[in-house]
Amino acid sequence: MFRRTRVSAAVLLALAVAAGAAASPEEVKLRLPLKAKLPLRGNERIALAPFILVTDAEKARDKRLQNVDLQGEFHRFLKKQLEKKTKFEIVETPADVKLPTQNLTELARAQEFWASVGAQTNSEVVVSGSLEFKVEDRSGYKTEEYTSPIDGRTYYRQVYVEQTGFLFDIVFLVFDGRTGERLLQDEFKDFRQTSSRKADELQGLFENLFSLENQILNTFVARDREAERYIFKD
Amino acid sequence: MNRSRTWILTFLLVAGGCTSYNHPERAETQMKFGTDVAKKGLWREAAFRYEQAITKAPDNAHAHNNLAVALEANGDFARALAEYKKALELDPNNNYIRRNYARFAEFYTSYTKTTGKAAGVP
Repeated sequence: MFRRTRVSAAVLLALAVAAGAAASPEEVKLRLPLKAKLPLRGNERIALAPFILVTDAEKARDKRLQNVDLQGEFHRFLKKQLEKKTKFEIVETPADVKLPTQNLTELARAQEFWASVGAQTNSEVVVSGSLEFKVEDRSGYKTEEYTSPIDGRTYYRQVYVEQTGFLFDIVFLVFDGRTGERLLQDEFKDFRQTSSRKADELQGLFENLFSLENQILNTFVARDREAERYIFKD
Repeated sequence: MNRSRTWILTFLLVAGGCTSYNHPERAETQMKFGTDVAKKGLWREAAFRYEQAITKAPDNAHAHNNLAVALEANGDFARALAEYKKALELDPNNNYIRRNYARFAEFYTSYTKTTGKAAGVP
């Protein structure tokens, strides 16, 4: 009698386990393609023109920004990534090419200027836009929960936390090098925070850039991204 | 002796319930097989199995959801959208299907968004 009960219990347990396993969905990972935002052939000649530096006015106030050659670093990063991960031919505009305006809206409308840059560099596509990089001191007092080792109760206390924030905002303007017509305007933004007050600004800048890398490249070429979905067993 | 027999029986039942592909004529068998191959990344085979499951049980919301995921993985987004909609129509309160659909909708919107026009492309 006892033996039969035990066998029945085991059968029920087995059925419950099997039913539970079948009913609960499972998370699976997929790689989803991201179409390039610009329908290019993939072997065009792309000219990298200067970008408007939005942080220029703040440079005088923030000593740490003076150490960062934003234009140079961004151009170097973009050129390197495009050359490494695409088949485009990347050229830099000559040093004497100066932007006709420091206003982004007007820059986007300067069709004749962009056509002339395209002709000068013999490029089918010209890239410009604006760059904004900010280093923010986010140190301050924060409320923290703590459990007293004496009475075991939970209290709240104010602690001084040293943090630095790095904000990078890129507006991309892409022009047709033949007609000067604007093909695309897009914005990429990233914010990183480190737990140190004197965090290195160049390191922060590259952390921002590497996290935006996929999005930036996706403007020119197809990329893919990982996604999670649920599937059922029954 | 009896105890070990009980454990062996339990193991066989669990293992049998988890891996058996007997009765391919049943929708559940196709679903199970589809999910197992999907977890190995064989999404075309998985899609085929889920289609078979739907043929056998057209009102199974889970099968429509799974087929949508497999179609998504194969890049057939328009059909995936239709299958997600069908799955939600059959089981509108299923949170997992709703979550899948929301994630897919976010991706699909940005995927189909037309931006810019071709430069230098005839």
